[in-house]
Amino acid sequence: MRIVKKTLTRIMMYVAMIFVIVISVFPILWVVMSSFKTNAEILGSPLALPSSFSLETYIYLFQTYNFPIYFANSLLASVVSTGISLFVFSMSAYVIAKYKFPGRMLLYMLFTITLLVPGHSRTQPIFTLVMQLGLYDNIWGLTLVYLSAGMAMSMFLLKAGFMAVPKALDEAALIDGASFISIFGRINLPLTKGALTTAGILMFLGNWNEYYFASLLTSSDTSRTLPIALSFFTSEFSYNYTRMFAALAIVIIPGILLYAVAQEQVQASVAATGIKE
Amino acid sequence: MRRKPGWQERKNYKWIYLFLLPTVIIFLMFYMVPIIQVFVTSFTSWDGFNSPKFNGLNNYINLFKGDAFLISLKNLLAWGLIAMTLHVGFGTLVAFILYNKPVGWRFTRAVFMVPNVISAAAWAMIYRFIFNNDFGVLNRIIRFFNPDFNVSWFYSSPWAFWSITLTWLFYAVIVTLVVLGDLMNIPQEWIEAAKIDGAEGWKLVKYIQLPLCRNAIGTSVICSLTARITMYEQISLTTAGGPGDDTMSLSILLVNNLMDYRYGRANAIGVIMFIIGLIVLAVINKAFRMNESDY
Repeated sequence: MRIVKKTLTRIMMYVAMIFVIVISVFPILWVVMSSFKTNAEILGSPLALPSSFSLETYIYLFQTYNFPIYFANSLLASVVSTGISLFVFSMSAYVIAKYKFPGRMLLYMLFTITLLVPGHSRTQPIFTLVMQLGLYDNIWGLTLVYLSAGMAMSMFLLKAGFMAVPKALDEAALIDGASFISIFGRINLPLTKGALTTAGILMFLGNWNEYYFASLLTSSDTSRTLPIALSFFTSEFSYNYTRMFAALAIVIIPGILLYAVAQEQVQASVAATGIKE
Repeated sequence: MRRKPGWQERKNYKWIYLFLLPTVIIFLMFYMVPIIQVFVTSFTSWDGFNSPKFNGLNNYINLFKGDAFLISLKNLLAWGLIAMTLHVGFGTLVAFILYNKPVGWRFTRAVFMVPNVISAAAWAMIYRFIFNNDFGVLNRIIRFFNPDFNVSWFYSSPWAFWSITLTWLFYAVIVTLVVLGDLMNIPQEWIEAAKIDGAEGWKLVKYIQLPLCRNAIGTSVICSLTARITMYEQISLTTAGGPGDDTMSLSILLVNNLMDYRYGRANAIGVIMFIIGLIVLAVINKAFRMNESDY
């Protein structure tokens, strides 16, 4: 009886695991596979393998549409905003973690409470702000808006990171005559690499995949990011399924590649944010 | 008694506030000022060109009079309940399975993350194709058993609601990772002690492991509920709120009002989202006794 129960549990466990793997991988494989099929094949046998492999559709898409521009826009907006906000947030997380000053707790509370504000509720003021700055339909406008993303999460992670750097190191440096800035830049920043990477990866992924503000703040072809370009293709290719699938594959593959490279780090990042709250 | 800051510390004030300044600017520009603006203008009629005119609670009253808003609330409630129970439940179940380290658990954990690293917009699109009546995989499989089957999942009632639900229901990797983290942090001695006291299998899970993971589970509930409040791509790119207003949500309604230059009403929806977010946080925090540590 015991053995039967144990075996059953084992089987159920593997069934659940296979289910997880299938729902996570199958949709992507199906998209990539379909991008190599002809329209007739897609309609006739959606589950079969393509009859021949050719990169023709991909070449066509790259030649006809501004994929390099969409890609560059996505990269620009997410890298620049992640870089700047990582630096800016680490400066304030550092002083909050290491120094006593009036308003310390209040500021920390205000910065982290931003986590609770549904981003979409701030839509109109941000929309109007970007309009007034004359940055509507401009990739820099989007970059500016992304600066504010991930503020609370970075504060949690970076403050904990800086607190883990021993105070004795700061004091030793101070005695050696190091300035405020060099204690921060030469001692604390290098020792907080883990927290910085974690926060950086999370912010980058968030911005790279962002759709809501990107769809509201851009309109012309040359300022689109990859996720936005995608939504335009569905109308453009409404009856050319091969191209639709290929466009989808082009949009999702960079993210997956990045994840494949930094897999452990990404998972640790996600787990860390939950624990630190 | 508060210690007075020494000379050394006061000398640093200049630097400290300089270091805080950029974050404060970002905070004011993108959080503080927008939130105040949203609250204030939600009591006005405003088209974005002319100056806002105070109209009391009219925006809110009009919202509650309209079907689309009530359906949005009803959908949020339904999706919220599904997220709290099935979504978080599934993520937790997977965490418990992976905790036992069966063969391939690392691979499963790694792969489960993939749908979360690609954009929600792309994921919504993929599901739109999977559920497509002409070339979608789902109907293909159903037609294998019933050749005359024809349903356009995203375009017909009541399927549209459930199709959108399926785009996120099982993708609970964040829940899994957070709960798994907490599970692995339970000191091994505690587990051993419980086993000596006769706790085994289900009892161990119910009385020891689950209660000790309540912080992670509470966090997951908050995160998944907040995600339901702001869910946008999964609807905008599949049904856009239709058929009728069947799958309408607050964020879709907000954008629709914004596009119609009804800024006052859009911001009233923003205020409601904000308030729902605060309620969720307060209630869940209490329910899971999240501020108490067990260690």
